[in-house]
Amino acid sequence: MFIGTEKLTYTYMSGTPFAATALNEVSFSLGKGEITLIIGPSGSGKSTLIQHLNGLLKPSSGRVYFKGQAIGSDKGELLRLRRRIGLVFQIPEEHFFSETIYDEIAFAPRNLGLAESEVRIRVKDALEKVGLRAEQLQYRHPFQLSAGQKRLVAVASVLSMNPEVLILDEPTAGLDPSHRRNLFALLDNLNRSGGLTVIISTHHLDDVVALAHSVFVLQGGRMVLAGPPSEIFTTREKLYDLGLSLPSVTEIMHSVKEKGLPVKTNIYTLAGARQEINRLKGRPGR
Amino acid sequence: MNPLIEVIDLTYSYQAGSDDEFRALKGVFLQVWPGEMLAITGQNGSGKSTLARHFNGLLTPQSGSVLVEGLSIADKKNTAAIRKLVGMVFQNPDNQLVSSIVEEDIAFGPENLGLPPAEIRKRVDWALDTLNLQHLRKVSPSGLSEGQKQLVAIAGVLAMKPKCIILDEPTAHLDPRGKREVLENIMRLNREEGITIILLTHFMNEVVHCDQMVVMEQGEIKLRGTPYAVFRQKEIILELGLDLPIAAQLATGLRQKGFKIPEDIIHTEELVDCLCQLK
Repeated sequence: MFIGTEKLTYTYMSGTPFAATALNEVSFSLGKGEITLIIGPSGSGKSTLIQHLNGLLKPSSGRVYFKGQAIGSDKGELLRLRRRIGLVFQIPEEHFFSETIYDEIAFAPRNLGLAESEVRIRVKDALEKVGLRAEQLQYRHPFQLSAGQKRLVAVASVLSMNPEVLILDEPTAGLDPSHRRNLFALLDNLNRSGGLTVIISTHHLDDVVALAHSVFVLQGGRMVLAGPPSEIFTTREKLYDLGLSLPSVTEIMHSVKEKGLPVKTNIYTLAGARQEINRLKGRPGR
Repeated sequence: MNPLIEVIDLTYSYQAGSDDEFRALKGVFLQVWPGEMLAITGQNGSGKSTLARHFNGLLTPQSGSVLVEGLSIADKKNTAAIRKLVGMVFQNPDNQLVSSIVEEDIAFGPENLGLPPAEIRKRVDWALDTLNLQHLRKVSPSGLSEGQKQLVAIAGVLAMKPKCIILDEPTAHLDPRGKREVLENIMRLNREEGITIILLTHFMNEVVHCDQMVVMEQGEIKLRGTPYAVFRQKEIILELGLDLPIAAQLATGLRQKGFKIPEDIIHTEELVDCLCQLK
């Protein structure tokens, strides 16, 4: 197991009349280099789960594992975990606190105690990875950037730690289609070229499902479905009952099948749908 | 018929006159007709929100003009009348709800209009009925789902009995069920109550449900027409940083493979029908 949990349970305000169980015995295991989506209705525990994976929250019971080791609860260990597992928060640009983009991205490597010459290299690398030009941007104020650029700077400020796992909580909320495309192309590239393990919580499957190796479905703090996308989205009624939706392509295939054409419904990419239609109705024009 | 909202050569800059001046609107002309459902889309920073904030006087024109039922928003005397005509709903419902009980929250707007209590009650009832929220009237918004909160925010605007509601990315933070509920209710307000809807969105599957759409880029309107007409211009749509709806993307891909799929497919149902009819 590269990263995962075992019977992870978390109760907010434990021991008070307001106690609420946000996670209930959640267990999962991910391999190195996988891209995983976490979906689920609002309040299903996605963000709470994510915050355990980099040690921001401590389990009420159960464990978090990283590289086969259970994560303890002492401060030093959690700090080391946070350096290996980077988390990009929801609407991360709201948390910007530095005067320049350089300082924003340098914050994490400086915390690692690196020499400023090394920090400089990390900042430049991180900006390059997200496709921004360091010499153009690094001394500007973060608020001078467009919404899409701010999101990329937020990702760069986590990549500057050289994490082994990158976790993003609703990374495309409020972004336009081209910025969504850019962000996911970037994650795809980091995953393919650098073997980065990526975990994404999202409400917008269409943008990202083609990249996913696995999908987790949370509801009411429980893991109710887990598996590769080709399996998860065949259970249409179950997902509807949970208040979720299918990828648009899968939805089309389900509807076509209902109308009598015997297509497979475990299809979630445009290329897959084209092939499937071709298989059934192929050799057009002859 | 006169336009409900008329925008004439509107320009607006942030930090005007400084080194950091950002020209958000560069001479925009637009007419919004009574009863239409209009999508405004375009990349982040293209000027959508800046334009929409002129429609109810949250911003006033630096040059050019905006008329709502013929009233100029530049004239402060008209502000109150215009805010009654044009309501606004934002991305995050948590920033819009003011009260600890749903029905009080919805009454907030009409109370501010100085209406008699009987009329306020009537309007709150009507707004709750129209959005199917009666069962939630006595509860606290804090216990609602994000989608329900957004519907309460819409009900609060609806209770002002506006002719037009502007929604600025109302589903950006909602889960799939919340998105569906909000979109369905917006469509119903338009079709059954005749309320003019202006929907700012980054989701093409929402745009396709509108009668008309506008695409903005760098402070200008680049395209305007029905979703069918606009999405026909595939290359331009991509250049403007947008996407085709998924049904249109798949239709295009199949057409390139030689399948006889008609043009003008933007809705899932349209594609499903023609896939089932393929020989």
